[in-house]
Amino acid sequence: MIEEFCDWLSATRLSLMFQTADWFVPTVQTVHIIAIAILLISVYVISLKLLGWIRSVQPLAATVAKSTPWIWTALCVLLVTGILLTITEPARELLNWAFRLKMLMVLVLAGCVALIQWRLRADPEYWSESAGHRWTGRTLGAVVLVIGACIVTAGRWIAYV
Amino acid sequence: MAIERFLAWLQDLPLPTQIRESAWMFPTVETVHVFALVLVVGSILTVDLRLLGFTNRERPFSQLAREMLPWTWSAFVLAAIAGALMFTSKAVIYFHNIPFRIKMLCLALAGLNMLMFHWIGVRHLPSWDASAPPPRARFAGGVSLVLWTTIVATGRWIGFTT
Repeated sequence: MIEEFCDWLSATRLSLMFQTADWFVPTVQTVHIIAIAILLISVYVISLKLLGWIRSVQPLAATVAKSTPWIWTALCVLLVTGILLTITEPARELLNWAFRLKMLMVLVLAGCVALIQWRLRADPEYWSESAGHRWTGRTLGAVVLVIGACIVTAGRWIAYV
Repeated sequence: MAIERFLAWLQDLPLPTQIRESAWMFPTVETVHVFALVLVVGSILTVDLRLLGFTNRERPFSQLAREMLPWTWSAFVLAAIAGALMFTSKAVIYFHNIPFRIKMLCLALAGLNMLMFHWIGVRHLPSWDASAPPPRARFAGGVSLVLWTTIVATGRWIGFTT
């Protein structure tokens, strides 16, 4: 089923146009990597603050509010560039377990970030007001740190598996 | 050429040979390089965008730089080590690769730009720390943004031209 879809997609006029332009994949991948850089540094600053590894004058709620537009814009750019790369080489992406793992982890990362933001919007002190919330916040921070690194790893291994 | 003989000797050392011939070593080193580079670029872009006045305008520049720069330097050291390992595994090929040379040139220029910003731009930091940076500092931020974007682009192009 997916194989047939990949065959159909790679034979479309749009895919063929992208495949024959030598500059297309490297350019889209460059934009993709810069979007990952912006996403990762934004979520890592939040994670490190939740873990207490960055001492900053700026409260967590202010940091999260500032980085929210950057995080979601970067995710949108990743989605668009990811779709373009998939149209160009459907089988390389859709039939690859590293790609599927990466997509799953992006969803988990987005969910963790959304949860952190959602709680802070209602209560700016939420992640520090009780021992339970602090523990959950630190756990979320650690999960985001690990998943961020795993997303980059899976992304690079798409080319090798 | 003496340099080519040296590079051929370098890539035939045990570790570079192992990286080149192993099925998992090169991708692993490359993954570490990309991960570290992503953190370097992300943290530098955050500082550059502050210099250009696009983000964190209300935050003192010194506060943001203090928060970012330790991560930038740690990640840069990691990226440089992984990058050096990748280079040694195919030293002759990389030496002749044009995108690789442009990447190295941009890295050198980015370092020079940072030094100049440190000597000239930061000298008057107390006068603009909590407000809009002067044109000289904004220029340094813009140059850095262009150079690091080119470093990412040429880095990606290496994979398509070797």
